[in-house]
Amino acid sequence: MRRVFVTGIGVVSPVGFGHHEFGSALLEGRSGAAPIQNFDASGFDRQVACEVKGFRSRDFLTAAEARRTGRCSAMALAAARMAVEEAGLKPEHLAGPRTAVILGTTMGEANVLGELESTWLHQGESSVLPSHLPRYGTTLLPIHVARAFGARGMVQTMPAACAAGNYAIGYASDQIRAGRADIAITGASEVIEKLQFAGFVRLGAMAPDVCRPFDQQRRGLIIGEGSGILVLESEESVVRRGATVLAEVGGYGLACDAHHITRPHPEGEGSRAAMRAAISSSGLDASAIDFVNAHGTGTPANDKIEAHVMHEIFGDRLPLTTSNKSILGHCMGAASALEAVSCILTLRDGMIPPTLNYETPDPECVVNLVANEARAAKVDVVLNNSAAFGGYDAVVAFARPGVLPPPRDPWAEAA
Amino acid sequence: MRLAITGYGVVSPFGVGRESWEAALAEGGDARARAFRGRSEVLEGELAERARTAEVWGFDPNEHLGDKGHRAFDRLTKFLIVAAKRALADSGLKPESGWVEGGPGPTDVGVCSATAYGSLDAITELNRVAELEDPRYINPARFPNTVINAAAGYVSIWEDMRAPNTTVVDGNCGALDAVLTAATHLVHERGRAFLVGGGEVVSEPLYLAMRRLGVLADGRTDGQGVEMGEGACFLAVERVGDAKARGARIEAEIRGYGTAFDAPHSEALLVCATPDAVARAVREALAEARLAPDEVDVVVSSVGGIGDVDGAELQGLAAVFGEDVAVAPLKRLHGETFGASGAFGLAAALAWMRGVTVGPLLRGRAPERVRAAVVVSVGFYGNVSAVALVASE
Repeated sequence: MRRVFVTGIGVVSPVGFGHHEFGSALLEGRSGAAPIQNFDASGFDRQVACEVKGFRSRDFLTAAEARRTGRCSAMALAAARMAVEEAGLKPEHLAGPRTAVILGTTMGEANVLGELESTWLHQGESSVLPSHLPRYGTTLLPIHVARAFGARGMVQTMPAACAAGNYAIGYASDQIRAGRADIAITGASEVIEKLQFAGFVRLGAMAPDVCRPFDQQRRGLIIGEGSGILVLESEESVVRRGATVLAEVGGYGLACDAHHITRPHPEGEGSRAAMRAAISSSGLDASAIDFVNAHGTGTPANDKIEAHVMHEIFGDRLPLTTSNKSILGHCMGAASALEAVSCILTLRDGMIPPTLNYETPDPECVVNLVANEARAAKVDVVLNNSAAFGGYDAVVAFARPGVLPPPRDPWAEAA
Repeated sequence: MRLAITGYGVVSPFGVGRESWEAALAEGGDARARAFRGRSEVLEGELAERARTAEVWGFDPNEHLGDKGHRAFDRLTKFLIVAAKRALADSGLKPESGWVEGGPGPTDVGVCSATAYGSLDAITELNRVAELEDPRYINPARFPNTVINAAAGYVSIWEDMRAPNTTVVDGNCGALDAVLTAATHLVHERGRAFLVGGGEVVSEPLYLAMRRLGVLADGRTDGQGVEMGEGACFLAVERVGDAKARGARIEAEIRGYGTAFDAPHSEALLVCATPDAVARAVREALAEARLAPDEVDVVVSSVGGIGDVDGAELQGLAAVFGEDVAVAPLKRLHGETFGASGAFGLAAALAWMRGVTVGPLLRGRAPERVRAAVVVSVGFYGNVSAVALVASE
């Protein structure tokens, strides 16, 4: 079965645009949290979020693209342009049916819908401009991106809530391995909308001040937004055009808790199954994992269960772990895509970003945490862990090129 | 690709369960009148009087799910759960008595579900509170419904299915794309069986948006304009060997999948469908299925009332099959169900293979015995997907 490589990464994040700014902010521990600017949050008892600041569609998109996209698609397209440029892909590489675009999200163009519904509810149906209506469709997220690059293959949106990035990346790797595509532009995009913010406040999931993953005093998440995009390529495509490889995509694991729509399974059953599957489908055992980029939301339940699962998987040899969410906030559907970019930078540079705000160890929540300061480490294999509303669990393995054993070819075996 | 379809469950304007669905297919035109029967039960006020929608009339979740545990669910979630329950029972994976000893169990069965606008009415419900009252008053128990994949997640929770749960949003192509998702999961042994399909609901915001766009049929019955429908359909799919090993009834095999995308030629356009994309998707599905075009007996089309899109589909089909193959416009029977439509198409193809004539046809004549079928979904924004299936030996 074909190996799949990462050849490009692009980022629009609460801590900057492009992976250089993004990576520096992560290693320096510069949080993206700030008072909310994009809507009036004064009525809420939580008023901080990790918004993407200063993003202007016209800086990255053509005038026509900017007109037809909402903020979610625009950020995805901007990050995709960065990833394609990083990969050194020319239009002739991407044009045609062998390029797929597979993107994740939670709510897609939530801002567009919010504006449309606000107009409708306050001013009536006749005030809603028909030309604005098609900008809402969640299905348009990959279509805008495919259109920009002349891609004519698979376009797919995978709404998997806070595991959407991993779902999309894993599925894109599946399609390249199966020979249905040579190149995939994949990842996820998400925007903060007032309704989501209100929902998380009403669920009691929001931290009052900062996000403290794995700390005893952790009291919740800080909501975020952004877009993380990867260019994945088959080995043949990489060799054919002499591309520089950033990382290899290993296996991935999915499972469903089937327990509760918002709360994780109390024993981490789905999370454990997904993590085990990610390791075994990479042809590895747990001892090969050097680093886990944790889901690490900073909510009491998630972090405790995630730590429990890691103990079950790794025993006493806990791999180094960090949570980017102490810096990026919880970027929902985009979270695991942005964290995938962070994983790839760690593999490339041998530097693990810190988990901020870690002060008080929690005996019920012990992980091998890279706390408060970045750390240099030789990292060959990483796991990118995620979980989501709906009981979704998704874990993707990435590795330095040359580390993973040859992948199985289940399609050939099935034939 | 070889996937066994071992059963299915339907929630449609004709009722709950495959029996009412297959009876409606056999009725043809008469069933259409029952689907579009009159005053909306979902929309309110002026809309209820004017709208011509094919709704799941008189749907009572208590009848199928009991009277507890589903109060916070939205309409789509209830449809999906009922369709899933029926598909699990019909396939023998999980009869009323529960999981079968020695057969696939909770960790072996997953869900691949599609929708295009599934959470829209839930978002509107909360936006109404947020905009007209105060966002601090939104109901936290209903908030999860605003997340697109929540409806499918509830299906796994309700039926205790712990293999991967995947939601797909690809406009009208979602349910057929979910077939590939399930095939991929099965070949990678991420489960032993998957419920594949999806659901869609009639809702006020969706109806108003379509009306505002000027694309609704608004009572026209000449095939021009979209007639909104709703419902849910799940098919149980398994690896053929697994299905045989447990002695399951294999109704048909999915043998091929294809997809394609074309963007509009003008920067000013968004809506797009091209004959070439239709032909590419169908040819890819046929090639994987190792079927020649003249071996295909019937096509369940995506024709849904938007002239340019329908025209592109019919041209694309003609380019592959010529003019003689039987083409069924299923959406004229029970409306446009967007992301779920491909699942209904597959269910219609299965019925056709069992001798239920799906008509009236747009063109061509179907043979008495249908052995191979292609189901096509055409999106509004340039994407097309196709699935080829053959009758069980």
